[in-house]
Amino acid sequence: MIIVISYLIYLLISIALTVWVARTLHLRGAIFLVDAFHGSTDLAASVNHLLVVGFYLINIGFVSLALKSDLFIHDWREAIEMLSAKIGWVLLTLGAMHFFNLFVFSRIRNHGWSMDRPPVAPNTILGVGPVTHYPGADLS
Amino acid sequence: MTKLYVLYDPRCELCLRLRDWLSGQRHWLELEMIPAGSPLAKQTFPGLEQIASSDDLVVISDEGNVYLNNRAWIMCLYALQAYRSWSFRLAHPLLLPLARQAFDTLSKNRHKISLWLASKDPARVANELRQVTLEPCPLQGTISDYLK
Repeated sequence: MIIVISYLIYLLISIALTVWVARTLHLRGAIFLVDAFHGSTDLAASVNHLLVVGFYLINIGFVSLALKSDLFIHDWREAIEMLSAKIGWVLLTLGAMHFFNLFVFSRIRNHGWSMDRPPVAPNTILGVGPVTHYPGADLS
Repeated sequence: MTKLYVLYDPRCELCLRLRDWLSGQRHWLELEMIPAGSPLAKQTFPGLEQIASSDDLVVISDEGNVYLNNRAWIMCLYALQAYRSWSFRLAHPLLLPLARQAFDTLSKNRHKISLWLASKDPARVANELRQVTLEPCPLQGTISDYLK
């Protein structure tokens, strides 16, 4: 019975942590991506959502695979030790995934900015800007 | 920089292809195509004839930066979503004088030039581009004949 309760507590804590990290990433990563995609909020929202879906799939997959324990649990002390070790691994994985996502964000952003300035210098610069043309004006 | 004015020669077949091809692409920067030497061009950019003739391809940014010929071809690519990264590769000193050839190949056969650019060796790409023959523009008649 102790092992079942331990498993349930493990699942509860792990999934809650995954949701919290994913939400942080989604919320705080949005501004990074908008900047990277030159203010295109639709594209940024789309990429952000796709990244978060990948994050959920990998983390919940890991949490599920790491659930099973071969230890034979005699008392609550052993149960808490096992629980602590498992949650430690989940936290390390979440941390690694989180930094990997930050790395992806910053790569996308740097790539966006490095192409923000034109590749060639102008031949010359006009003294005055373009004169606004009003539709219907007589141009002959 | 949010807008580019492209002043093209309406007598030049390659320039007309540029105009049609650009209008079918997705843009990062707004593009306004103006026939060079037309009344609209003269009114919008008074004094431009002192900088460029109507034979030149001219790109002018909304900040007043003027790009001529090879640089103008590169700036047209820079304005496009799918070709901005290409504009940086074609701005290499070895490739810039061949911008017209690059554009001609690009708008006819994108696959061919993407194979060249995959080599990452500008000298090799330059050799390939030198073999592209451009049809000469038939410079007959005046600008106003072509604008009729």
